[in-house]
Amino acid sequence: MSNKRYGDDFGNPSKRPRRDVDEDEDIYIADEDDVIPPSPPDTMLIPRPPTIKISELTRRLDPHSVEGDLSSFQVHRHNQNELVSIIFREQDFSWLHLKPDHASRPLWITPDDGHIILEAFSPIAEQAQDFLTAISEPVSRPTFIHEYKLTPYSLYAAVSVGLQTEDIIEVLNRLSKVPVPDSITNFIRERTLSYGKVKLVLKHNKYYIETSHPQTYALLLRDEVITDARIKDAAQKVDSSIKAATFTGTNTPTMGAPEKKDGNPADAGLTVGVASDEVDEDEDTFTIQIQDARVDDVKKRCTEIQHPMLEEYDFRNDTMNPDLDIDLKPATTIRPYQETSLSKMFGNGRARSGIIVLPCGAGKTLVGITAACTVKKSTLVLCTSSVSVMQWRQQFMQWSNITQRQCAVFTADQKEKFAGESGIVISTYSMVANTHNRSHDSKKMMDWLTSREWGFILLDEVHVVPAAMFRRVVTTIKAHSKLGLTATLVREDDKIEDLNYMIGPKLYEANWMDLAAKGHIANVQCAEVWCPMTPEFYREYLREKTRKRMLLYCMNPNKFQACQFLINYHEKRGDKVIVFSDNVYALEAYAKYLVKPYIHGSTGQVERMHILNHFQNSPNVNTIFLSKVGDTSIDLPEATCLIQISSHFGSRRQEAQRLGRILRAKRRNDEGFNAFFYSLVSKDTQEMYYSTKRQQFLIDQGYSFKVITHLDGLQDTPGLAYRTKDEQIDLLSSVLLATDSEASVGGDVRRNEEDLPGTVTSATNADFGMSGRLPGVKRTTGSLTALSGAHHMSYVEQNKSANKKLAREPPVRNKLFAKRDRDRIAARKEAAKAAAAANAASGRA
Amino acid sequence: MKAIKGILMTCDPAVKQILLFFNEDHSFIIEDLDDYHVVIRADEERKVRSMLEAKLESNTYSLEG
Repeated sequence: MSNKRYGDDFGNPSKRPRRDVDEDEDIYIADEDDVIPPSPPDTMLIPRPPTIKISELTRRLDPHSVEGDLSSFQVHRHNQNELVSIIFREQDFSWLHLKPDHASRPLWITPDDGHIILEAFSPIAEQAQDFLTAISEPVSRPTFIHEYKLTPYSLYAAVSVGLQTEDIIEVLNRLSKVPVPDSITNFIRERTLSYGKVKLVLKHNKYYIETSHPQTYALLLRDEVITDARIKDAAQKVDSSIKAATFTGTNTPTMGAPEKKDGNPADAGLTVGVASDEVDEDEDTFTIQIQDARVDDVKKRCTEIQHPMLEEYDFRNDTMNPDLDIDLKPATTIRPYQETSLSKMFGNGRARSGIIVLPCGAGKTLVGITAACTVKKSTLVLCTSSVSVMQWRQQFMQWSNITQRQCAVFTADQKEKFAGESGIVISTYSMVANTHNRSHDSKKMMDWLTSREWGFILLDEVHVVPAAMFRRVVTTIKAHSKLGLTATLVREDDKIEDLNYMIGPKLYEANWMDLAAKGHIANVQCAEVWCPMTPEFYREYLREKTRKRMLLYCMNPNKFQACQFLINYHEKRGDKVIVFSDNVYALEAYAKYLVKPYIHGSTGQVERMHILNHFQNSPNVNTIFLSKVGDTSIDLPEATCLIQISSHFGSRRQEAQRLGRILRAKRRNDEGFNAFFYSLVSKDTQEMYYSTKRQQFLIDQGYSFKVITHLDGLQDTPGLAYRTKDEQIDLLSSVLLATDSEASVGGDVRRNEEDLPGTVTSATNADFGMSGRLPGVKRTTGSLTALSGAHHMSYVEQNKSANKKLAREPPVRNKLFAKRDRDRIAARKEAAKAAAAANAASGRA
Repeated sequence: MKAIKGILMTCDPAVKQILLFFNEDHSFIIEDLDDYHVVIRADEERKVRSMLEAKLESNTYSLEG
């Protein structure tokens, strides 16, 4: 405990009655009485839940029985606190005063960073959860304890769906075990009050900042970034054109007199009020036009000065842009969570920009389509690869009544425009963001795209798009509202924050565990199987460079056996198994040895389709091996078990994507059905580190990984691979002969020109610096004679691996222990003899 | 006659490989008995333990890490 905390206590003595052990029991009683009534003032306004009174009552009814125990307990507790507080340092909040009935309230709030800890086992946890998802962002949601965080964005989102500042504080207070700290109340007040004062509006393809508060306007004008981005001339012309278009629901905007920039705000307000005659006085709107290219700088800046811009699109009253006749087909049903996510977006009848996070296989596409059907304006859909462009189009056809002619595709091969005034265009990020080397056709297409005003832009898989590319997309395409969709809002490079101002805040994040419990996605059992390295492999591992190391721990014979065992086990259960390996060398070695079909980057399209077809339909093919190509582009709803033998370092996204492969398992609705996700890890290697790191995202979603250190019955498997030392050593030598390029994880999936860097986790565009290269041309000098073998070149292995010779002999126990073993056997015999004698004796008796 | 005080270390095969690896730089192993046992110099024990600890720790992921 720091002295500071003690200092605090002097100011507020009632805060820590429990820690003063030296005082006697009477004071406790006095204190407790003292503390119950005042609590925080806010709670007095609302009727307290009845539970409070009961607990209070019971305590008063028999004070003695409780008091006696309590004080000794208190002493003990105090001592414990002393011990523990050192560990927590800054995070030690034991000085916070617990409300007397804290047991029936489910929340803890930390005063400095706005983290909220929820006891998910509490009876009212469900209501609390609903409330918390409305006002804060989920950080981590394991089974029993959930963590949420209050952020400015989450609070803006809360206010925009109609929650009042005081209500938020009140409910928090009611749920919290400790009175809501002042720092948090202030934070909530500050953020919620500044919300909505500044608006970003798109009119006639030009961006404007609007505000109806003179003070705010003055503040904006004083800001350097904003004045920089401002377009000053053309003020008058623009002004008149805007007057005609009042579709945003605000009153006629007028240009604030530029020369009044540094004058006092009231003055500026006055001038404007006079200048605009048809506006009623209290609804004056001040506008600043800003350059298209600077939009995001301005947005970022506004967030920094705590006046985040509100981007809402009042699509119903937009008469400027032609409506699109699109509706969901009557047969289409939306699941409850999809509806909730959309209600967050269209909370007040307008479209808010933001991001919706749903797990893989939970119907993100349908959410996007429904959103488009709600807005009913021209829509641009951007996705990551040309394959998904086709999927989106097909989904649009399937779920909505859009016609082929209204749904256009813009890729490298196909450049269509929709017929009529409005429609849908589906394209990829790279097609739109690409600035050079454009063909004439695509240039024309791009001009058409940029000249239009879009009602709605849908951004698929937002987490993979690099910031620079995104900026280009967002600035070149003018759209009223944006919706980002993703399953995993994580990146290894912390660029995720940028999305907040480029698209908008996170509107909704589904609880994976909830969806699994309701049967929307499969229930998954996750396990990490620890396979010990064999001594020979480990010896080489310790002496190798990174690349080869990787191959060594993938090819570990024990892992091989575990994999074989698990495949056999699950095939017998009737599961369809996918085995993932990032390493192509390992993939081929495993698949060939176990005689299973495999697909990797260089497998031809026809062969792929053939294999996948068999996997889906034939009962004879129950296992396939996939490299990274299977991470995203292949949809296999049949798979129910997934085994991962090698992976891309610590990529949390890849782990989640892979898990996503089995979340849509077809049989998920069967009673008690479980899908299985195994990660095979070689013990004592770097793989352990990466594996734990990869799991973090899934753990935050509430998945727990079981650790399996021993597979029962492994040794009895018939035809177990690499059972003998000899075979293991042969395997080792072939692994050691593999070239470096074979050992690397990248290079397998070569990217399509149109695919985004990052969508395919290949080392050529790895997101965290571990860049590998495709094998290049190697030049060596040598004479022709030498190359033809006429230079007395012969191969002699000089440096024979010692363990090759050593390990071929069966492991012997050192002679030293021979005596110990003999003694032990002798002792056992002795004991048996004694027991027999005793038995005989007792029998005779 | 020269006597060195030794300590018998019992470990799993993987850890023994790490010990052998360390031994290449600073020799402390007196006798390599079998897959599970080595005898090391008593005065090096502390150092060996701390090196081993560090090596094994490097494969552990922690949130702060």
